[in-house]
Amino acid sequence: MSRVQRFVEKILRQQRIGRARVEQEADPELRTAILLRSARLGAGTVREEFVTSLHQRLAAELSEDTTPTTVITTRRRRFVQLTATAAASVGLGVAADHLVTGGAVAANPPPGGNDPQLAPDHGVWQTVADSSAMPEGRVLRFDLGTVTGFLRRANGKVAAVSGACTHLGCQLNLAPSRTQLNCPCHGASFAVTGAVLNHRLPITLPPLPEFEVREIDGVIQVLAPKES
Amino acid sequence: MGDAGVYPDWEAIYRDNVGWVYGMLFGKVGSRPDAEDLTAEVFLAALRPLRMSATVPEVRAYLVATSRSVLADHWRRTLGRELTTLHDELLDLKVPEEHVNAERAAEADRILSDLPENYRTILRLRFLDGRSLKEAAAEMGVTVGNAKVLQHRALRAAAKVAERIGV
Repeated sequence: MSRVQRFVEKILRQQRIGRARVEQEADPELRTAILLRSARLGAGTVREEFVTSLHQRLAAELSEDTTPTTVITTRRRRFVQLTATAAASVGLGVAADHLVTGGAVAANPPPGGNDPQLAPDHGVWQTVADSSAMPEGRVLRFDLGTVTGFLRRANGKVAAVSGACTHLGCQLNLAPSRTQLNCPCHGASFAVTGAVLNHRLPITLPPLPEFEVREIDGVIQVLAPKES
Repeated sequence: MGDAGVYPDWEAIYRDNVGWVYGMLFGKVGSRPDAEDLTAEVFLAALRPLRMSATVPEVRAYLVATSRSVLADHWRRTLGRELTTLHDELLDLKVPEEHVNAERAAEADRILSDLPENYRTILRLRFLDGRSLKEAAAEMGVTVGNAKVLQHRALRAAAKVAERIGV
């Protein structure tokens, strides 16, 4: 049986597709198989047993303390990894319990006016720009591999915020006006100071965390983890 | 609940939306266990950060956005590319799960009606009527081997029709 046929048989037998190595030329056939199968009468109607069991699972997850659970199902673990990846790109200073509880960062925003500082456990001062490259009012993106961010100089002082959206960790773009940062994923926007300007997400979006910054010997440095 | 209303609690959000989220994902993956896994992932990821003051349309939009990334992640993991994607037009659906199923049935009809008789029959028997290869072969009076080849060719032809008519 060819790989295409195996994929199609899984659809017909209603099995998990799992990892499949099917050549891209077959995509129209695979899509047609999915379309035809989902055209069956009643296809796409959710099973009541599933609705009940997911309800129980959600109730357990949502009542959970913010400390990590010791028993983690496979699916949960994958979810945790996804969240941790997003969170890791958001802020290195986020405590470990935030990393392992999905959405905790967004669910428990820091109190207003008290933006979290990124204080990495294994941070080192790393040069991101020459002082001469940062005149008053300039905003500059930097990328250290482990983290990205935006530098700005206001009233002579250089500051830096994280370059990852606090929603799902997408990399922010500096708007042409150079006064705000836009998220390409769901349209959130932040001021270059990290404050939330606008978003259509039905969640409380935290502001961008700030880096510790210093200016020394004509260069600007931020405290960030080294690439391993 | 009217579109301007808000949900009283997460359970109301779940009950009101689990059906169409599942139906929408099923239409994109075609397999029940996969659609259930992805539905669970969507709600596990979406419910915690949801503000309870969010309106019904806001909640729907957020669930579609979450489903979109969960689906994309699923295909990247299994196939290495995004075989199917979710679009924003789904946001406009009023009764999404019935809508999706009816729309799919209409699309399938359009594709099948453009195929030769034997292609149409094998695809109908296997995909829409849920017959095994053996049963389908017996009904069509051909060997199992023939039915298998026929199904393969029929699906290829159906894919060409689907591309041509843009479904």
